[in-house]
Amino acid sequence: MTMVIRNNEGFLEDASAWTTDIAREIASEDAIDLSENHWEIIMFLRDFYNEHEISPPSNRLFVKAVKEAFGEAKGNSIYLMQLFPGTPAKTACRIAGLPRPTNCL
Amino acid sequence: MHTLHIISKSPGHTRFRECLGMMGEQDAILLTGNAVTALADSTITLPETVYALQEDLRARAIDPEQDISGQVTFDDMVSLTIQAQRVISW
Amino acid sequence: MHTLIVIDQPPYGSWGGRESLDMAFSLAAFDQPVSLLFIDAGVLWLKQGQEPGGINQKSVERNLAAASIFGVESLLADTAACHRFGLNEDNLINGVTRIDNTGATLQQYQHVAFSG
Repeated sequence: MTMVIRNNEGFLEDASAWTTDIAREIASEDAIDLSENHWEIIMFLRDFYNEHEISPPSNRLFVKAVKEAFGEAKGNSIYLMQLFPGTPAKTACRIAGLPRPTNCL
Repeated sequence: MHTLHIISKSPGHTRFRECLGMMGEQDAILLTGNAVTALADSTITLPETVYALQEDLRARAIDPEQDISGQVTFDDMVSLTIQAQRVISW
Repeated sequence: MHTLIVIDQPPYGSWGGRESLDMAFSLAAFDQPVSLLFIDAGVLWLKQGQEPGGINQKSVERNLAAASIFGVESLLADTAACHRFGLNEDNLINGVTRIDNTGATLQQYQHVAFSG
């Protein structure tokens, strides 16, 4: 495992310490093999965080933000759930090295 | 009731004054949190329809000497917000 | 029911404002109409060029730029307060509507919640 500090839920303590290798490692813990479609969302989240200094705080807002950027085809919960099982916003932010969405249980 | 003003700030807070300033004739005020101390303060004049949250009074050992419209429970508070046409939480 | 959240305190000094922002985003997440109104020193939330990294906080200026993406309907600011704090077209963040009569604006909303 790459030496990087993560909290008890597996989120990076420092978003700037993130690398694509770290993303692959975290994804593999959830048995996710990262495809182009995953990377598109991951890089979108990274950009979103750099611009707004916030992860989309909930799943619904994650879906809204993706919809705003990529349209209905990708900005829907089924598509995002298939890419990032569980709670998509949480899973995706964890892999993207971003803080835990504040309002996700 | 037209507007229910829910205030949680103590009478010394500027928002308490602003709240009283915006009270219309058909409005009611509900004191919560530190605002209930207004009922222990003899220098404060409150409008006609005043409610106060029972648990906040009890927590501070305040027994309202002034005649108030009612001490309310949390459930009553919910009912009041539904009865009101508008709610302002100060 | 349209909710108006009013922020009258400057950013960073307390958590109240951030909680209100969170409340606005949560209402928007469930497609409940919500707007934010900045009055008094609260208008400082809207000033360009905030760099709160040195006090270990995230920029509310940057957070607010996400408000419309999340579905917050409008960012309103009291004109007199903007004037008092030297805010104008050149140093206000994008997407702010200035209003002249705060009292009348408050009357337009069925649900008004002051921050903190």
